[in-house]
Amino acid sequence: MASSTHTHEHHIVPTRTYVATFLGLVVLMVMTVAIAGVNLPAIGPLSGTVVNQLVALLIAVVKAMLVISIFMGVKWGSTLTKLWVASGFVTLIVLFGILGDYTTRQFEHQPGWEKQADGALPRVTPNEPEVPAADSNTLNVKIRQ
Amino acid sequence: MSAITDSMDHGHGHGHEPGLHHQYEDMVQQTESYIVGMWVFLTTEVMFFGALFFIYTLYRWNYQRDFYIAHEHLNVLMGAGNTTVLLFSSFTMVMAVQSAQLKKRMHVMGYLVVTLMCAFTFLIVKYFEYASKIADHLYPGAGFATDAKLAFGEHAMEGGKLVANMNHVQLFYGLYFGMTGLHAVHIIAGILVIIALIRLWYNKANSVIHDYVPTEMVGLYWHFVDLVWIFLFPLFYLMPKPH
Repeated sequence: MASSTHTHEHHIVPTRTYVATFLGLVVLMVMTVAIAGVNLPAIGPLSGTVVNQLVALLIAVVKAMLVISIFMGVKWGSTLTKLWVASGFVTLIVLFGILGDYTTRQFEHQPGWEKQADGALPRVTPNEPEVPAADSNTLNVKIRQ
Repeated sequence: MSAITDSMDHGHGHGHEPGLHHQYEDMVQQTESYIVGMWVFLTTEVMFFGALFFIYTLYRWNYQRDFYIAHEHLNVLMGAGNTTVLLFSSFTMVMAVQSAQLKKRMHVMGYLVVTLMCAFTFLIVKYFEYASKIADHLYPGAGFATDAKLAFGEHAMEGGKLVANMNHVQLFYGLYFGMTGLHAVHIIAGILVIIALIRLWYNKANSVIHDYVPTEMVGLYWHFVDLVWIFLFPLFYLMPKPH
């Protein structure tokens, strides 16, 4: 290969980096299981349930970034690769933007599919009475025989 | 460079490497094309799973409390165990790729076999999880949760009825089987691809021994499967108690 003007540009990552990443991922996994068992307090307008969920998702995002950058080697990849990696997740964010539209709509749910008052992010609209938590079950509980 | 490869003139004015295909200028360009191509595919996969995650978010948003009750049937220990198995398989896969870069053929095959074993372990655990749901009639359909007390226990019952709307519980299990099932299909596809890759390495195929990138591409796919599970695990198994 002496005659080649080009070089094999692949980056060989040392084993200890991979071991450390794996151990980090396991620690984060144990952390997310441990935190799931604790009822975190509400922060501002966010209920404790939402805070719990956001923390769990935050840990998942950190884990995902470790996998993408180190295991998938995007950290050492070309700009074009990084652009493509970003494109998938940007599309995902745009997709989730539809939720913004969903929250501004007022529509009647089908019987048996009413939203729950203590949903993750309850919508409170002035004209729409909230379904009380205790009664929502008696409205339409069908246990099929 | 051997005389044989030198004699294969592709019209370029430079030397040839054994792993280089004739349509590429050099290995750097070829590697970039391979990796970008793989990421284009993975982007479509992100969109594919993304739509399902969106459906999940929408219904979880509306039926948080009933989803919480429904999720109590899932076994966190099995979920966490499977997460560890997949994370470990990602590690062995990345080690296989590193060994391919260093051209250590036996190491590549060893790491790939361990990855394969992890994939089977994941599916076996999944089998036991699915079996326990099916035994309690928690698969969506006409006979859904015929015995809710058996499935969810006394504490979730009130006046002989489950303290949750059965429609929502069934929706949860529809999402559970749909999303984890689709993920399991990806695991099975991964198993087939890894077996094919091991075969190529075993046969000392030119496509893998001269160029680490085909091994890297299987690795990228496998890490993606791990990535999906990283999100499925907290969303299905670790739902926070409404408080």
